[in-house]
Amino acid sequence: MCIHLYHHTLPHCYRCQSYLFCTFMAPPKAVTATSIDTSDPQTYEDQHVHSVYDQIAPHFSSTRYKPWPIIAQFLSSIPTGWIGLDSGTGNGKYLPLPLDRPGSIWTIGLDRSRNLLSIAQNAGGVAREVIWGDVLDNPWRHGVFDYAISIATIHHLATPVRRKAAVKSLLKSIDPSHGRALIYVWAIEQDTLSKRAVPTGEDDNGTDGQDVFVPWVLASQTSKTNSKQEHTEETDKPKESQVFNRYYHMFTRGELRSLVENAARDIGLHIGKEVSGARGVEIIQDGWERSNYYVEIRRWSTE
Amino acid sequence: MVRLITHNLLACHAKNCTSNNFPLQFKDIEIELREAEFNPDFIRGFLPKLEWKALIDAAKQLGDTSLPSEQPEMIDDEFLKNLHHVLLEIHIEEGAMICPNCQHVYPISNGIPNMLLAEHEIG
Ligand SMILES: [Zn+2]
Repeated sequence: MCIHLYHHTLPHCYRCQSYLFCTFMAPPKAVTATSIDTSDPQTYEDQHVHSVYDQIAPHFSSTRYKPWPIIAQFLSSIPTGWIGLDSGTGNGKYLPLPLDRPGSIWTIGLDRSRNLLSIAQNAGGVAREVIWGDVLDNPWRHGVFDYAISIATIHHLATPVRRKAAVKSLLKSIDPSHGRALIYVWAIEQDTLSKRAVPTGEDDNGTDGQDVFVPWVLASQTSKTNSKQEHTEETDKPKESQVFNRYYHMFTRGELRSLVENAARDIGLHIGKEVSGARGVEIIQDGWERSNYYVEIRRWSTE
Repeated sequence: MVRLITHNLLACHAKNCTSNNFPLQFKDIEIELREAEFNPDFIRGFLPKLEWKALIDAAKQLGDTSLPSEQPEMIDDEFLKNLHHVLLEIHIEEGAMICPNCQHVYPISNGIPNMLLAEHEIG
């Protein structure tokens, strides 16, 4: 998520090469702590996540980007002929990967924002397969995907129960005997430049993470870039800035890993290396990269 | 887009709809043919994932009968090319997909299928 307020005239953030998800350029006080009303998380997310993305979607371009190394490596390691799910695909920037073997694997994008999907369906200038759907649902033959990625998505879900449900859904979408998945979420431990932007405080959700609002400013600007999809009207006239606050749950160290383990346990999976007569999930790696936590897993079955 | 590669993966996920919920049936569809780059290695690798009968039935519904009704033992280039065409070059742009079990309607508009459910339909 590029939380830098002022770079919207650039095609992407010059530090992290991301359109959306720059965590380097956050100016102080860009991020504000929030606490959420958990009585109706779905409505809350509609208001503070989906509707925001629908409104700011035209500002994102989908033709140039440099993906984060962990994600690029993961997709490069997927064997030819595999089919995958990008759950929360956004503008579809991971759908064309790996760039050195185009068309050797097929990643299908799912997102809740219809406007982002209109961009994603042509990511990288090639027709992509995209689905309008919810990351908590499973509108597939169970286990049909060989791999799945969930990049910068689960942190938009407003309760621990819903975040776990999203992981369960992801685990169910991949093949029980060889399915691989990569989950990537925003970390409370930020890159040094943006450290001060993150509020500290007690969280009341029973986890150590932090619920925050991250503003996206749709500001007055004269469009210098090729703005086919940017401003539909009044491109040359300044207009009022509009601030959209997106909800995020910032993960703390170890929180994503235990979320994945709890989700796996809930659906009866053994955690760890293969044992006989069981179904399980092995954590291949987990770590921190550029202000994000990630966990890579592999499902196995010896039944 | 909804191409048959995706149609072959989708299943109805409405509440309590767990059997006979695949494949979804096309209704009132508009299709467009668009060339896609042929990658025989991908097609070969993807073959074991396919539900063959569902693919053949869907292809027939879209007016394509180039594929055999049983998956052949011998995989040659012509077969792979036909399969490539059926999976990746027929775009369903408008219409709907209907669950054969509960009749739930999943609309398709501008090539994007709407798989969202209303709150009371979520399992
Ligand atoms: Zn159904």
